Amino acid sequence: MELKSKMLIAEETLVIQLKQKDHQAKAFEILVNTYKERLYWHIRRIVLNHDDTDDVLQNTFIKVFRNIDGFKGDSQLYSWMYRIATNEALSFLKSKSQKLKINNEKLMTKAVEDLRADVYFEGDEIQLKLQKAIATLPEKQKLIFNMKYFQEMKYEEISEILETSVGGLKASYHLASKKIEAFLKEN
Amino acid sequence: MDKLNKNNNFKVPDGYFDTLSSDIMKKIAMEDTSMPLNEGFKVPEGYFETLNTKILGQLENIPVEAKVIPLKSYKKHYYTAASVAAVVLLFIIVQFNTDKTPSYSDLANSDIEHYFEFNDLELSSYDLAEILPIDDLDLNDILESRLDNDNIIDYLDSHIEDFEELNMHNDD
Repeated sequence: MELKSKMLIAEETLVIQLKQKDHQAKAFEILVNTYKERLYWHIRRIVLNHDDTDDVLQNTFIKVFRNIDGFKGDSQLYSWMYRIATNEALSFLKSKSQKLKINNEKLMTKAVEDLRADVYFEGDEIQLKLQKAIATLPEKQKLIFNMKYFQEMKYEEISEILETSVGGLKASYHLASKKIEAFLKEN
Repeated sequence: MDKLNKNNNFKVPDGYFDTLSSDIMKKIAMEDTSMPLNEGFKVPEGYFETLNTKILGQLENIPVEAKVIPLKSYKKHYYTAASVAAVVLLFIIVQFNTDKTPSYSDLANSDIEHYFEFNDLELSSYDLAEILPIDDLDLNDILESRLDNDNIIDYLDSHIEDFEELNMHNDD
């Protein structure tokens, strides 16, 4: 049997168990253990610092747990979770910028600047510059770039998570890479 | 080295050739960069190991949020009702003013060109080929002037020496 279909069956079983009170706790542990690192890095690339990522990641799993009954299986479990994580991260940034009374762009520039003093960031100047470049991208292009470039996801997978056509994704990724290249050359 | 340097008045700084390869490597490393694959983010030690218990603890401690019904929520409904009414009114006006629904042919070419120009589609000719239904296309859809049978016969007549030899059947 193909690996992908094996995974789908495993996912289905997990979803069924998550909906049953008796197996819930064990199934949830498996779910967290399977997806924690992937979702962590997905969120970290959006919000940049560890503490915020930790908050968003925990909220994501709590939302998944509370809403599992509403998961109809129209999409894959993992793309559904990625979608929740993405929404949680974006709304986290939105409420943070409202609290600080600055716009999203300023918030992201500040977040990149804060990386210099962040104990959980050990990137060099080039890596910092790359983060600066990514911060200049529009929200959707940023997501697509991170998912494709760093997470090396397939366009089909990104398409299911972001609910955007593969053609549109390719165009956005192309534009994002061009903008980043231009930024790195200029600065 | 000295053999190569015979009758040469040029000089190089001391140690130039000794450090050359490492200098070049440094330069390559700098130019190549442009995008490092590693971002430099770290996580605290043991973070992932303790995450599970942290989340379970949170789930036990936080009661399922009760839905809060805001006071004066009807205000929101006024806006909704007003916008629905406006949309209905607009729809009725549009319905009365136009006797047909807009179709593809109503779009001005300039609008279509503007759309392609200012929306970041970046479609390659392969992408376009994938979406365009070529089965329904006729040669005349692409040509600017119509190509009628008469034109074809005229062309053949004037360009072929013995037109009769083509042995064309004209059933019409």
